Amino acid sequence: MTTVLSLKDARLSLDGNAGRIEILRGITLDVQKGETLGLVGPSGSGKSSLLMLMGGLEAATGGQIQALGQNLSDMNEDALAHFRRDHMGVVFQSFHLIPTMTALENVATPLELAGHKDAFDRAMTELVNVGLEDRANHFPSQLSGGEQQRVALARAVAPRPDILLADEPTGNLDQTNGSHIMDLLFELRDRHGATLVLVTHSNELAARCDRVVRLRDGQIDTTLAEAVA
Amino acid sequence: MNPSSLGLAFAFARRELRGGLTGFRVFLACLALGVATIAAIGTVRASIEAGLRAEGAALLGGDAQMGFTYRAASDEERAWIEQSADKVSEIYDFRSMAVVTRDGITERGLTQVKSVDSAYPLVGDVVLDPPMSLDAALSGKDGLPGAIMQPILMDRLGLATGDTFKLGSQNFRLMAALIHEPDSAGAGFALGPRTLVATTDLSDSALLAAGTLYSTKYRLDLPVGADLDAISTDAAARFETSGMRWRDSRNGAPGVAEFVDRLGAFLVLVGLSGLAVGGVGVSAAIRAYLARKTTVIAILRSLGAARRTILLTYFLQIGALSLVGIAMGLVLGAALPLILGPFLQSALPIPTVFAIYPIPLAEAALYGVLTALIFTLWPLSRTEDVRAAALFRDALETARIVPALPYLLGTMALLAILLGAAGWFSGSYQLTLWAAVGIMAALVTLAFAASGIRKLARSVLPAARKRPALRWALNAISSPKEATSSVVLSLGLGLSVLSAVGQIDGNLRNAIARDLPDVAPSYFFVDIQKTQIDGFLDRLEQDPKVSGTQTAPMLRGLVTRINDQPAQEVAGDHWVVRGDRGITYAAALPDTTKILEGAWWPEDYTGPPQISFAAEEATELGLGLGDTLTVNILGRDITGTITSLRDVDFSTAGMGFVMVMNEAALAGAPHSFIATVYAAPEAEAQILRDLSNAYPNITAIRVRDAIARVSGLLSNLADATSYGASVMLVTGFLVLIGAAAATQGARITEAAILKTLGATRRRILTSFALRAALTGAAAGIVSLAAGIAGAWAVTHFVLDTGFAVIWSNAIAIIVGGILATLLANLAFSARALSSRPARILRARE
Repeated sequence: MTTVLSLKDARLSLDGNAGRIEILRGITLDVQKGETLGLVGPSGSGKSSLLMLMGGLEAATGGQIQALGQNLSDMNEDALAHFRRDHMGVVFQSFHLIPTMTALENVATPLELAGHKDAFDRAMTELVNVGLEDRANHFPSQLSGGEQQRVALARAVAPRPDILLADEPTGNLDQTNGSHIMDLLFELRDRHGATLVLVTHSNELAARCDRVVRLRDGQIDTTLAEAVA
Repeated sequence: MNPSSLGLAFAFARRELRGGLTGFRVFLACLALGVATIAAIGTVRASIEAGLRAEGAALLGGDAQMGFTYRAASDEERAWIEQSADKVSEIYDFRSMAVVTRDGITERGLTQVKSVDSAYPLVGDVVLDPPMSLDAALSGKDGLPGAIMQPILMDRLGLATGDTFKLGSQNFRLMAALIHEPDSAGAGFALGPRTLVATTDLSDSALLAAGTLYSTKYRLDLPVGADLDAISTDAAARFETSGMRWRDSRNGAPGVAEFVDRLGAFLVLVGLSGLAVGGVGVSAAIRAYLARKTTVIAILRSLGAARRTILLTYFLQIGALSLVGIAMGLVLGAALPLILGPFLQSALPIPTVFAIYPIPLAEAALYGVLTALIFTLWPLSRTEDVRAAALFRDALETARIVPALPYLLGTMALLAILLGAAGWFSGSYQLTLWAAVGIMAALVTLAFAASGIRKLARSVLPAARKRPALRWALNAISSPKEATSSVVLSLGLGLSVLSAVGQIDGNLRNAIARDLPDVAPSYFFVDIQKTQIDGFLDRLEQDPKVSGTQTAPMLRGLVTRINDQPAQEVAGDHWVVRGDRGITYAAALPDTTKILEGAWWPEDYTGPPQISFAAEEATELGLGLGDTLTVNILGRDITGTITSLRDVDFSTAGMGFVMVMNEAALAGAPHSFIATVYAAPEAEAQILRDLSNAYPNITAIRVRDAIARVSGLLSNLADATSYGASVMLVTGFLVLIGAAAATQGARITEAAILKTLGATRRRILTSFALRAALTGAAAGIVSLAAGIAGAWAVTHFVLDTGFAVIWSNAIAIIVGGILATLLANLAFSARALSSRPARILRARE
């Protein structure tokens, strides 16, 4: 087995109005290649923050985070951006599409960044995969929430990332749209063979993962981890 | 209105305003700057007007003045003057050459000579350096009469006090430098600096011989309590047909007063344009504020608040803020002239009384209130479109663009009031209407241009597919959410005016300073006596470097009647009838004259006077063949019939007379000759030396110097307009900053998403810079096109000169557009680039 993500005593604390807040208190965790990992836990337990650390979207204030053998803590902002461009796809709860770009342009953006000459053709293929080829020239504001999340999914998988990070991707969707998105997420992961780390509140969704890690107060709740193992 | 609705709205508004002024800084700055500009211009104008009023008698040099052209008052006129006034001062005013010979080298300088009697000045004091009385200065020293001279001419001629110089054939001793001449502001345009001498000392100078070009002024010190109305009416009734011109202390410097009034009115209109640009920022700030308040409005709606209550809530908030902005503007606009008063006073050649004047402040406040209402009513009306469902959607973004009819009509009514007020205050409804049409046409053009730029950006997107930074920039420009319209509208108006002023000024300067010297003569010589003309021509004809000489008899006369009606009644304020004009006579048709209509008189014609009139001016005055003109020359009326119309080109600075009469009509009147000399530049100095030495009484006007003087005056006017346009541009820049600040949030999110997708900060910055530069360049190009179109129309239809694009100005406008947009936008990009994506994106979850 190859470890693609390795966290050793990862810590995150932020300075808030009420003083310093410890968000993650020493997380040690390995994620294997091809694995599907579910991060669960109550609100405020640090799930999304952990995912952000894994994606280099947030800098750890302590410990070490390695992705594909590279130490993310040693990289500056631009090196992290390059790393994500080449190896990671991220899906957010609020979709985060660029409002000034059409669906097709949104999907093509990471491919363009990676220097793919056929960025738009590939983006179109991804939109076909998520069933939105007829919405290619629509702006985000012209799409429903479910459609926006499908565009975001297409955008995340388009560059064939090694690691797919999804932060409550169904959190802003109704049940029907939510389950459709999850089917699509797992289908795309299976098709491209990426490692998937998923933050979710849904037990049903967690059950579809190879492994589940529960967080509580910024730490891994070992009782459940052992139970699942 | 339901009182409870107003009470509720008041309570809601008060609570919302507790949130502070976030998002309203640009709103306040735009309004304050616009109001301050207008208040400051108005205050300076009022200060000058007060100064002119207070110092009317000093500016004029007496309670009243009677003026005559190249003659002294007749015995009858003199008797009337002495009977009406307690004291009288007689002044002669003419151009001459001050000549200095030192170590065998002779220097000459054109000067405007004023010769005075012992009563001068009736009002005010002449200030001299070294300090002495005027009497002492003019009585001279060591057997020579005294003279005083402006320091600029002393420097030019290398003269120091105690030195001697000549005017005509009379030697003078320079006794002092003329530091302050109390009646100089009323004197009008002069080609040369002032020299002051006593009239009695000119008797041997040959400068005031019959037929030479001079004017006389009689200053009257009237008895205390004299009725100026009655005296001026009496003078007009007795002497106006004799070419007498009346002025009194009620308007001591009418030229200055009129100029200040017109320039002030024009600059207020420029200020109003600045306020219109500010209005774009005001409107944008309110739209952005209301967009942020959509949720609050939707919650209020869901809790049962009526639409009227919500509208009032925000109207009261914005009204209160508008009043704060206007008050800030008034304080600034009133304080600035007071603070800068001492500096302005020393820079201006006219008296000023700097104080707080309520009328210009009221005018500025009124414009501020009306502009705020005009630009806020429209966006405010959109609050009525927000439904409770907006809690789930960005409803304001889908709200209708054109407001409901009552708001539309309300806006139009406010606009009409604004225009009415501007017309009334400026005193010219026509100018106001043109300015308003110009501003509105510019705003509409710019709005269309902005929409065109967005479409163009979208259409060229496919070509940028392999250049992500460029594609993102074009994406952003083409998006309705980006501030493209704000940038084009806010920068566009200021840049268009600057561009038009630059192009007009440049073309005019080129016409005067570059093109004119090629076709203009080297010198104008005036006051050549009949006995001197043959010798004068001999000298020039022998010189191979002289390519041409034209001479003509020169008289000056005032057109008093047209077809036996008072000229001013028929021709209004046309320049031909406004003052005295040059008139000549000729027997034979000159070689260069082209008759367009009618026929020239026979060479030996001695019948009733005939006139050949300039064709273009005849058309403007509605004159044709067979019309009669009465011209007062030296106090005598000569009535002639127009028998031909000629083509006269005044643009070459050559000899051009509006009126030519047959020889017999004028040859008997005392007169001198004028000549134009076309010579190679290297020969000019020698010609001047030879002719001045041979004929000391003649005056040479170097055309190049005159052109430089006129160019300088024009450039001052262009500068004044440019300052006004710069205020507009500063307001535009504020609006830009507001637009950049309003889109900062979107930029931060966009940068965070792009970083998540793998974009480096450099790439993101490149994209931000590209979108700013492209939008700025587009705004610059649109403004340039508008400016060039305006400038072409003005030069072609009004100035009647050729037009060529001044490229230095054109490039400056485009570069200015790019720099302004880049500066405003990049200042707001730092946060977008430095923020960590997780913080931004999670904050929006």
